[in-house]
Amino acid sequence: MSDEPRAIDCRTAVQQLWDYLDDELNDARMVEVRHHLLTCKSCLPHAEFGRLFIQALSRARERHVMPPAVRSQVMAALAEAGYSSESPG
Amino acid sequence: MAESRDSGQSKDDSFARDAIPWMDDVYRFALSLTRDSNDAQDIVQETYLRAYRSWHTFEPGSDCRRWLFTICRNAFLRSRQHSRHEVEAIDGDAEALASAREHSEMIVDGTDRILASVDLGPALDRAMADLDEPFRSVVQLVDVEDQSYEAAADILGVPIGTVRSRLFRARRQMQQKLRAHAKDAGLATVEADRKSHV
Repeated sequence: MSDEPRAIDCRTAVQQLWDYLDDELNDARMVEVRHHLLTCKSCLPHAEFGRLFIQALSRARERHVMPPAVRSQVMAALAEAGYSSESPG
Repeated sequence: MAESRDSGQSKDDSFARDAIPWMDDVYRFALSLTRDSNDAQDIVQETYLRAYRSWHTFEPGSDCRRWLFTICRNAFLRSRQHSRHEVEAIDGDAEALASAREHSEMIVDGTDRILASVDLGPALDRAMADLDEPFRSVVQLVDVEDQSYEAAADILGVPIGTVRSRLFRARRQMQQKLRAHAKDAGLATVEADRKSHV
């Protein structure tokens, strides 16, 4: 009758929190954790912290770019191996 | 002859299109493995040379970045002559619970505010660099390079459960480092300290 997802307790929600934030749970589990977070004032801050933490980590992509000199050396080694980056014509 | 030249050019074109654009990503992964820019350069170079030489084995349309990460990881292991890592007994669920406990303590002492810090990058980089292998490479793949657990498991040659448990432990360890950093930066509050002793 009810479409309510299966209720889970805080321990279960927290155990699955990283999986949830990484989008690694199956659909039913994702719904269960999301529903728990919407209704639990204790667990929601953990989820918000986790989300911010992962976002901060992902910004390392912007901070760490290969130095141009390294790229040049790799490209030179590839050229020696026969690679040509120039299109014909 | 012309045919062979055409096929060589076709190989180079597809390599330029599918493999070259991921060089920054491979460099970051190599740097996370080696923690040394010179070693990372060697690993990236070896990765790309091996990828170029075995380009015929790459399946067009499949995930080239994942393929390059795998070559990179293997190049790193060869360079260190690592034997296979033993599968450590870490419980992912227990690590997730410990992470939440750590966060609760951060709320109590006020250090959770560090995530709002504008100059969090260097502290996070240090926390990540301090991680031991094999934890660092999992964080790099999943959190920085946005690989799924399944892709990371494939690249690292370990079961998905191992990726999960290593990742959760690594995140908890970084949380602890960030908390210490926040305390050093004076983010812990006196009132919060009092509350924690109630």
